[in-house]
Amino acid sequence: MLSYIIRRLLLAIPTLIGMTAVVFFIMALSPGRPSAILAAGLQLKPQEREALKRYYDERYGLDKPIVVQYFRWMKKISPIQIGPGPLGWPWFKAPDLGHSMIRDRRVSDLIKESLPVTLLLDVMALPLIYSTSIWLGLKAARHRGEIVDVGMGTVLLALWSFPVILAGLLLQGYLANKDMLYWFPPAELHDMQAGGMTFLPHHGAAGWERGWLVDTAWHLVLPVICLAYGQFAFVSKLSRGAVLENIGADYVRTARAKGVGERSVLYRHVFRNSLIPLITFAAQLLPALIGGSIVVETIFSVSGMGKLGIDSIFYKDSEVVLAIALVAGILGLIANLAGDILYAVVDPRVAYD
Amino acid sequence: MSTGALDNTTMTPPDHTNGGNGGALPGARPLTPPPPPPPPRSLWATALVDTFRNRRAQVSAVWIGLLVICAVFAPFIANTHPLLMKRDGHWSSPALHYLVPADVMLLAVFVLTLAFLFARRVPYRGWIYAGLVLVAIVLSYTLVPRRDVPNYAVYRQAAAAGKIQAAIYAPVRFSPLDRQFEREDVLLNAPSAQNWLGTDSNGADVASRIIHAARIALAVGFIATGIEVVIGVIVGGLMGYFVGKVDLLGMRLIEIFEAIPTLFLLITFTAFYKRDLYMIMAIIGLTSWTGVARFVRGEFLRLRNLDFVHAARAAGLPLRSVLFRHMLPNALTPVLVSASFGVAQAILLESVLSFLGLGLVEEPSWGGMLEQARSAGRFIWWLAVFPGMAIFLTVFAYNLIGESMRDALDPKLRGIE
Repeated sequence: MLSYIIRRLLLAIPTLIGMTAVVFFIMALSPGRPSAILAAGLQLKPQEREALKRYYDERYGLDKPIVVQYFRWMKKISPIQIGPGPLGWPWFKAPDLGHSMIRDRRVSDLIKESLPVTLLLDVMALPLIYSTSIWLGLKAARHRGEIVDVGMGTVLLALWSFPVILAGLLLQGYLANKDMLYWFPPAELHDMQAGGMTFLPHHGAAGWERGWLVDTAWHLVLPVICLAYGQFAFVSKLSRGAVLENIGADYVRTARAKGVGERSVLYRHVFRNSLIPLITFAAQLLPALIGGSIVVETIFSVSGMGKLGIDSIFYKDSEVVLAIALVAGILGLIANLAGDILYAVVDPRVAYD
Repeated sequence: MSTGALDNTTMTPPDHTNGGNGGALPGARPLTPPPPPPPPRSLWATALVDTFRNRRAQVSAVWIGLLVICAVFAPFIANTHPLLMKRDGHWSSPALHYLVPADVMLLAVFVLTLAFLFARRVPYRGWIYAGLVLVAIVLSYTLVPRRDVPNYAVYRQAAAAGKIQAAIYAPVRFSPLDRQFEREDVLLNAPSAQNWLGTDSNGADVASRIIHAARIALAVGFIATGIEVVIGVIVGGLMGYFVGKVDLLGMRLIEIFEAIPTLFLLITFTAFYKRDLYMIMAIIGLTSWTGVARFVRGEFLRLRNLDFVHAARAAGLPLRSVLFRHMLPNALTPVLVSASFGVAQAILLESVLSFLGLGLVEEPSWGGMLEQARSAGRFIWWLAVFPGMAIFLTVFAYNLIGESMRDALDPKLRGIE
């Protein structure tokens, strides 16, 4: 098992290098020198503009050949240091993600702020996806071939086809609109006054106060629905297939033959075994959710990693774009690996050697 | 033998070119001719018939057909130029006069495709069709003049002044770029008798833009998926055939492209380069081929050990022939299914790009209209609902066809459900 994990981690290194290389060269080979683009938006005298361009060139090494620039970036982010490093350990250093070209911030700080927001959305969406889909899948499998099953399949396919951009706009326009129904807040993750709120709801001087927790949950409802609904189709199809596969298995016939009740057969025997393929799928779902959060965060102006990525791409802030690609890639690889390991943990028949 | 090619367990080389000939003995001639056997159907014909036996797939095909008609005949369905007009005693057809090369090209290709579908007995019809399409594209882009953007208001002003004696208009009386400059207060109007689906934030008619945007949606779907399938088949086929090092390298390549969220890569691409419809299609194709490659790899891994592939290799056929003439036709069924889902995905991706403001600027696109609905400052329901439903119905139709095709092609499902 350990050797398997080590092998997978080693194989992940070329993947990460290739992935960042793809993103890097897409940006670096685009027309126009980045320093000129960065300086072009500002109102400056010609010589000041030249000075600013020179500053950018020097600061980010933008005048060097592209390949050299990529290796410089790799050297910066790699945790390996030739010679004694700043942390005191001889061969390692903290990876440096660089400095944003537009915002005067370190990229690692920007990511540290936005990643938890995106992960919060995803972590809220996952249980919603799973609980709904497993329930739907069980129901479809029990009524297999009947109108419930076929109809549910079509409805779920329709949900999967429903564009998130439309769903987001409609939810925001009808349920979070001062002119229509104002049940939910239209944007952002917290109320303006959330900083001054207590954590839990309570009765204060001004009557009932929402508190930070309820406020955040209230803001999360629409974005999480948008992230989740499209995934129902896949997961419930998967759980339906898994249940069907198990329902015909010998151990189920044995259980029925020895007089186990139908409910118990379904929920104790079949259900548990059908969970196995769903566990691995959760790992594959995470990258899809991170990709989906780009759209959802843009619609609901949630300042997570997707929105940070979009904004940085628009401003051609390539340091941040690269860092986000790297983080998303690492998350995806970790999720995949975790899925495979979990698979071996829940199913003793699976062994990696 | 026509369905044998679908059966995973057959070890004989499936014959998909003529569907077999029913076991008739050569030379044995019965006195009375037997009733003619049902015409042999190829694998593709069987797959298509089975796919469209499904009612949902039929409805979807009707919707796609409607879209194709909208796309091809857009200048005759939604146009400010009258189709036929009598002005100062002269008959003229401004709609024909102002056709652009793309309009003529689409009409020509549409007619050629119809001819191709009906002329079943013409030999080499595939080659003739491809040649004629190429000629039509070249001719329409070289011969048809590109005219300046006209002043659309002249027709309405002339009609109001009574200068137009008789005219036949298109059902939707606005061009997608007609911003109705002569009217005051034309921005973001709710649906009315004049603008059936309202106007957008430039004053253009939403119904007209939705009809014309069918072109972009269909083009993106087909061309992006075509690129995706070509890359996926080549990479996946080489991986599955050569296994070993090629497979390992290809797998890393697939992992690299799967590790980056497709949308993120796509946005980076479009934001850093010139915005161009063909560029967007190419990039969607370049970023989403991994699924097809995985499928083809799996199929080729299975096929490479079958007898007919060994036989083809032993006969000394060139690699190209073994890969593409013998193995590929037997590996294409999962590709066909994933291509159908791929079309849906490409349309969604294009709409998201336009929604984020990275699509085409002037040209109408469904996602672009949704972007206007968002950036208008208040909720403009007609800019969200109508184009949004167009995206949804199109994507849903392709997904339904894809699912029906998967059910029709999947041998494991046959006879079970």
